[in-house]
Amino acid sequence: MERFFQYVFDGLSFGAIYALLALGLVVVFRGTGHLNFAQGEMAMFCTFLTWQYHSWGVPLVLAILLGMATGFVMGAGAEVSLIRKVAKKSEAGVFVVSIALFLGLNSLAAMIWGNLPPEQMASLFPDEPDDFLRVFGAVWRYEYMGMLLVALVLMGLLFLLFSKTKFGLAMRSVASNPESARLVGIPTGTVLASSWGIAGAMGALAGTMFGATTGELTAGLMFTVFIYASASATLGGFDSPGGAVIAGLSIGVGEQLAAGYAPGWIGQELRLGVALVIIFVVLLFKPSGLFGSVKVQRV
Amino acid sequence: MSLLSVQDVRAGYGPLEVLHGISLEVQAGEIVVILGANGAGKTTTMRAVSGMIAREGRITYEGADITGTSAEKIVRLGIAQVPQGRGTFTELTVEDNLRAGAYVRSDSVEADLARWFEVFPRLAERRNQRAGSLSGGEQQMLAIARALMSRPKLLLCDEPSLGLAPLITQELFEVIKRLNADEGLSVLLVEQNANLAMKIAHRVYLLETGNVVASGTAAEIASDDSIRKAYLGA
Amino acid sequence: MWKIKEGSAPHWALRLLGVAVIFFAVIWIPTQMSTSRIGQFSDAFVLIIAAMSLNLVLGFTGMISIGHSAFFGVGGYTAAILIKDHGWSPGYTFYAAAVIAFVLGCLIALPALRIKGVYLALVTLAVAVLFPVLVKWKKLVWLTDGAKGIDSVRYDELPVWPIIGELKGRDGRAVFAYWLAFVILVVTYAVCRGVVKSRFGRSLVAIRDNETAAAVMGVNLTATKVLVFGISASLCSMAGVLSTLRTGVITPEGQYVTLLGSIVFLLIMVVGGAGTLWGPIVGGLVYVWLDNTTRGFGSDSEGVIGFLFGWADQSPATLILGVALVLIMFLAPYGLVGLIKRLWTKVVVVVPKPAGTSATSVAVTTADTPR
Repeated sequence: MERFFQYVFDGLSFGAIYALLALGLVVVFRGTGHLNFAQGEMAMFCTFLTWQYHSWGVPLVLAILLGMATGFVMGAGAEVSLIRKVAKKSEAGVFVVSIALFLGLNSLAAMIWGNLPPEQMASLFPDEPDDFLRVFGAVWRYEYMGMLLVALVLMGLLFLLFSKTKFGLAMRSVASNPESARLVGIPTGTVLASSWGIAGAMGALAGTMFGATTGELTAGLMFTVFIYASASATLGGFDSPGGAVIAGLSIGVGEQLAAGYAPGWIGQELRLGVALVIIFVVLLFKPSGLFGSVKVQRV
Repeated sequence: MSLLSVQDVRAGYGPLEVLHGISLEVQAGEIVVILGANGAGKTTTMRAVSGMIAREGRITYEGADITGTSAEKIVRLGIAQVPQGRGTFTELTVEDNLRAGAYVRSDSVEADLARWFEVFPRLAERRNQRAGSLSGGEQQMLAIARALMSRPKLLLCDEPSLGLAPLITQELFEVIKRLNADEGLSVLLVEQNANLAMKIAHRVYLLETGNVVASGTAAEIASDDSIRKAYLGA
Repeated sequence: MWKIKEGSAPHWALRLLGVAVIFFAVIWIPTQMSTSRIGQFSDAFVLIIAAMSLNLVLGFTGMISIGHSAFFGVGGYTAAILIKDHGWSPGYTFYAAAVIAFVLGCLIALPALRIKGVYLALVTLAVAVLFPVLVKWKKLVWLTDGAKGIDSVRYDELPVWPIIGELKGRDGRAVFAYWLAFVILVVTYAVCRGVVKSRFGRSLVAIRDNETAAAVMGVNLTATKVLVFGISASLCSMAGVLSTLRTGVITPEGQYVTLLGSIVFLLIMVVGGAGTLWGPIVGGLVYVWLDNTTRGFGSDSEGVIGFLFGWADQSPATLILGVALVLIMFLAPYGLVGLIKRLWTKVVVVVPKPAGTSATSVAVTTADTPR
């Protein structure tokens, strides 16, 4: 039984990271109708920057906040300077540009930081080998718990932003009907840029926390997380923030259970395969996801 | 000085020019109606005034040139458009739609909400419902109320009767007429349904394939036989 | 500016001149250049074949796919397994790979029938990422040798071809691989050209431009999409087979077997000119040239072996390609081929025959319209 809880706790913790990144994907999709293929790489790049700020002497918490701010600027900047201009010409072009961003950020990170000796991202939470809590007989490391809590708090803040603030109303309006949004005086450009900015900031936090749990920072840090996030957004529905969170946590727990209880069949190698199969199956049978609305053909 | 003055405006979509230099004006406190068949350029006129499309020529509002002003800024100046086809935020609740309409205002909107719920009781009943679940007539009311939430001086209405039963349309036009009479709200209305529109209009313009072909007071237009036969179905 | 009529004598002369130049360049290379250079050209051909196959699906039909690396991998692994474990002669592996990839391509096209754009991209992303994962799967190690890949794929006798004569040893192998790749490239080009200029090709473009209209005009969407995907997968697998034959090795983190491969195919296609026959060719040559020139740049980085990437040695070429792509999207949406065409028309303009005079001229104008 302890094994079960172990998988659940670990699954929730990492699932929270998938959910964070998936939320970023959903925010961008709802606001602009685009899939940001470079979401994971942006997160990775900002994680490296956060590490860099920290190694220059900035206290950790401040470095993390700074990293998130950089993520916001990066996201908003990409939308204003690249995405917006290409979107006018062709929707497929936006996807190609985000692939270019994906590649570019990856190469850039490798070139800038690749030569350094393996470095570790410091953790916000106590992460010594004996920093854990025993719950139901299973081991829940403080840093994993911390990840889940911080992620939940951030997601809560985002929901508050959407539902209770004027700007959140503006974002929802633009997502619903961009033309009418202009007609009531909402600055749609700012809203679009902010969508990407918010996604960038959330990605930065997700990457930073995730990076602290892995060994060394490499340019491939967030790639698998991106896949899990894509699977979460697909499963939950690309225009459903709540769906992304639920799906992210579920996939996190699900993959742990699958890998743990079927080591012969799935094990560690095919864990990612679970997410990929989910993407395939959902898109084949219910493309709008579990909680999304049936507006699948936005492109 | 007229409230809105449109002078020799050309506008279109890409290489296609739809308006070939139209001129019209709206005085403060007037209801001006633009009539015309499909494809005459009525919606294009609305969008040119509200700033949604690029236009050449000259448009002034309260004396100031707004020819190059963006749509978002034009709303702040006091012009609100009710788009063709309602354009409600279908995923948002009725109340959220109204609050969105008041985006440009920084003061409290509770009084306005209460007021429009009073004017349109059916919206009050459905205040927490998704706007997309409302009937066509209710959505039209919602769209008008939403536009009015920004307390505009000039209301642009694009074919409010489209797809609505005559009774509902009458109700809507009554509301517009009352608002104009009681508060001096100026209205620029484009319509295909000439009869109802003419009943509340002060002045009328006739638009045909991007040109103004006739204008005058409602009475003049209504009594001109040739115009009546050609455009108003005798 | 020199105007010449399509189909006229000067037009034919110009075409023949072009063909002759290419012909002599292609022949000249293996005789005059070093073995490693020849190898680079072979690599370029392999890449171009893959990019051309993607072009059919993405450039001409408008279906987004970043999953073609899986087809490449299928081809490569089919060849490796058949040659090494079953002693097949290399020639036949092409056919086997083509058939397997065709079936796979058709299967993967099935989701494409119901979804478009972003969602199709995700499905193909899943396919591309899934392939190396499956190859390394415990349950399939008996077939694929798992993470370490299959090596020492050797075939002993090089067939003796006319004109080229007998080839021996390592240098001989390099030349053989070069010619083999070139032949397959020509075949691929011929297939693509044949498809594009046929009625089938026009229905592809119709689907790309407006699916509903295409359906209304009588295009069988299902059959067309599935068929073109199958053909595309087949061609891509040829590139994979070639790669295995040339290097004798295939690994799950190999050059074009991972998602990165799909991305490179895509970028080459777009930079060269999507929806044009020569786009992938130009793009591929430029990329390989860039790659080889920048490989030695000081900013090389080690230790970047992401989970599914296999960037064995990182060259700035991909970064440059990414930047080039963004520039192309803004400045030259029709890619390098579009740019070249525009410059070319300042020198020579081919005045097309009036429409309706022959079926070929109509096909030329529609199918060659770049996107």
